[in-house]
Amino acid sequence: MITRRILLASTLALGLAGAAAAEFPDRQITLVIPFAAGGSTDVVGRIVAERMGQELGQQIVVQNVGGAGGSLGAGQVAKADADGYTILMGTVATHALNPLILKQKPYDPVADFAPVSLLVLVPNVLAVNPEMPVNTVQELIDLAKTDPLAYASSGNGTPLHLSGELFKSMAGVQIDHIPYKGSGPALTDVLGNQVPIIFDNLPSASSHITSGKLRALGVTTAERAPSFPDVPAIAETLPGYETYSWNALFAPAGTPPEAIEALAAAAKATMADPAVAGRMAEFSATIVASTPDELAEHVKAEMAKWEPVVKDANVSMD
Amino acid sequence: MDLLSNLALGFGVASSLANLAFCLIGVLLGTLIGVLPGIGATATIAMLLPITFQLEPVSSLIMLAGIYYGAQYGGSTTAILINMPGESSSAVTAIDGYQMARKGRAGTALAVAAIGSFFAGSVATFLVAIFAPPLTAIALEFGAAEYFSLMVMGLVMSVALAHGSVLKALAMVVLGLLLGMVGTDVYTGAPRFTLGMTQFADGLNFVAVAVGVFGIAEILRNLEDEHDREVMTRNITRLFPTRDEFRQMVGPVLRGTGVGSVLGILPGGGAILAAFASYTVEKKLSKHPEEFGKGALAGVAGPESANNAGAQTSFIPLLTLGIPANPVMALMIGAMIIQGIVPGPNVVSEQPELFWGIIASMWIGNLMLVVLNLPLIGLWVKLLTVPYYVLFPIIMAMCSIGVYSVNSNPYDLFAVAFFGLLGYVMSKLRCEPAPLLLGFVLGPLLEENLRRAMILSRGDPTTFVTRPISAGLLVLSLAILVLVFLPQIRKRRDEVFTESDA
Repeated sequence: MITRRILLASTLALGLAGAAAAEFPDRQITLVIPFAAGGSTDVVGRIVAERMGQELGQQIVVQNVGGAGGSLGAGQVAKADADGYTILMGTVATHALNPLILKQKPYDPVADFAPVSLLVLVPNVLAVNPEMPVNTVQELIDLAKTDPLAYASSGNGTPLHLSGELFKSMAGVQIDHIPYKGSGPALTDVLGNQVPIIFDNLPSASSHITSGKLRALGVTTAERAPSFPDVPAIAETLPGYETYSWNALFAPAGTPPEAIEALAAAAKATMADPAVAGRMAEFSATIVASTPDELAEHVKAEMAKWEPVVKDANVSMD
Repeated sequence: MDLLSNLALGFGVASSLANLAFCLIGVLLGTLIGVLPGIGATATIAMLLPITFQLEPVSSLIMLAGIYYGAQYGGSTTAILINMPGESSSAVTAIDGYQMARKGRAGTALAVAAIGSFFAGSVATFLVAIFAPPLTAIALEFGAAEYFSLMVMGLVMSVALAHGSVLKALAMVVLGLLLGMVGTDVYTGAPRFTLGMTQFADGLNFVAVAVGVFGIAEILRNLEDEHDREVMTRNITRLFPTRDEFRQMVGPVLRGTGVGSVLGILPGGGAILAAFASYTVEKKLSKHPEEFGKGALAGVAGPESANNAGAQTSFIPLLTLGIPANPVMALMIGAMIIQGIVPGPNVVSEQPELFWGIIASMWIGNLMLVVLNLPLIGLWVKLLTVPYYVLFPIIMAMCSIGVYSVNSNPYDLFAVAFFGLLGYVMSKLRCEPAPLLLGFVLGPLLEENLRRAMILSRGDPTTFVTRPISAGLLVLSLAILVLVFLPQIRKRRDEVFTESDA
């Protein structure tokens, strides 16, 4: 049933693309997602893979290679054949944070990859249990100056942990960091008021914010998030504060430019599809769909931004 | 009654022809992958996620849920027949179920597992319907200190659960704890015991360890002495339990359902802990504890009911809070998000057809499983008559594919080989694999929660006894310890039971 439907879709797409289609791609493409199935990168990846496969006229097979905060999957693509048939769903973790944090670097985020397209930006959010006597970022900062507090994150060295560390250093407060194995258990403990504060991805926290089980104090993007216009940006209290998670497609370095162009064009068309755009909006993700050059600039900018934070927070791993 | 009208709505949605068909597809697929050792529900659901794109949200979730509990059924089948737990929670079933199969009672064991699972599944489904919101509130009361004490209780149980030498059981638990430490330290990010291989940065894969110590070790043992297997296949007498056996399973099934329903709600391995807990309870209450590990009926009936009840109630935190209790539930969240449904407390009120439809489909799915599986028992048992030189290579291939499919990590296959050898050596030394596995599962949780509780209490260890739930669990563990280490008490207790029987 599956294969027939996909075959049908691909023949149709091939027919439409017709003679104009270049030689690439002439067989199925593997999209490596460097995290376990079910997470936000996985969801974005699967939605994109489905539609992009139709654009390219070839099936895109999703392969989850989780482990070591995304380093295993990214390292695998870095060493893969540079033919465009193995691509990576990179994130802020694989292409900015891990290379800064890890002492033994499994790959070089710039030299080992050919950027394809920056797909989406995903805001993070600072939220507290509703029993906390604070309603604004400023009140939280004031409270942290007098009381010992703790915040939960999805793990050591994750974008959420570093969002918290950046917040602490910019606000000049001390808040204990409590890492969890993923966002789910961290959320559970904040909902149960075992830990009062959390830095989380906006998509995973959004339903709890809407239902009032979490009180959102601020989003981490420079501007307010369109899906939550009432939640201020942390930058409104701490000017210059900005973090977000992002998802981008990368191919191994040395991939032929035609293949990169074909992939980037397919990614752009995919993100322009109203059905995909609608799903991304529900997910609180902002669509970028950049060119390969823009993604290369973005990676450099992100590494420059995070380097001092990682140094200040003294986060490092062997 | 709100509940009745809600359930009526749910059954209305779930019994539409399309949804019945998807439920059937789900449970069939689930049974199939459960029977193939190693290929877990997680991998299958992940592969099917993109298809759910095209389906109605209710239909897709009904199908995925069907795969999940279908896999629980199928996993027990392989645990009983070839000592190869297809799912982590059926590791306990393998202990006595496989021994029953070796004594020619494979049919009985499979039937008991199916009937126990069906009963537990039905009860747990209604518990989900009635108690979902209040039960979730209880689960939220569990903080790091409570989890730590719960894990302590689990470990104490694992020692009580072993038959034979307490010292060897302790050694196995400790070995399990050490193996559980492999991987990146959650708090400092330091890699521990990874031998410099990033492939082990996230620790050893549970499926790889379980398949190794149970399954591969069993194959090695069988190759050493083929006669064992011949005996096993010749002795199959009956397929279905006798009236007497039915009477024996009532108590274990009831208790297992209770234990499983409660522990299933807790995130982080609720169903597997439930199976272990139920096994310990049955062994403690049994008039013939010496039978456990040698093919006790209660040792199959109790844990099977417990793990199925746990599998069912683990939907409670998912449906009411949007919090996954295990990796499969995390995938279900992914499936909901793909459909544009944000899982969380609002699902019940905003999408009642979805919520109640899924709950009703769980019961329908369980019914389908029992109807499917009881007639199939004869077929499964015939599997045992397949000559070993055909069966073993097939099992090995299936295991390898299954283990690899979890993370696409070839190092997991090295782990299978290593733990297969270790399991073989352990069986030669008469050491039990079950306490090792429990130590392996609970160790990381124990450590993580101990340290988290200590950070939260700012270094004050009294947090474990000043929080009531935590203190209660610790007292309970102490009581279990006393029962284990004072054999006189056990002897006297046995006498009391004999007297009351007379």
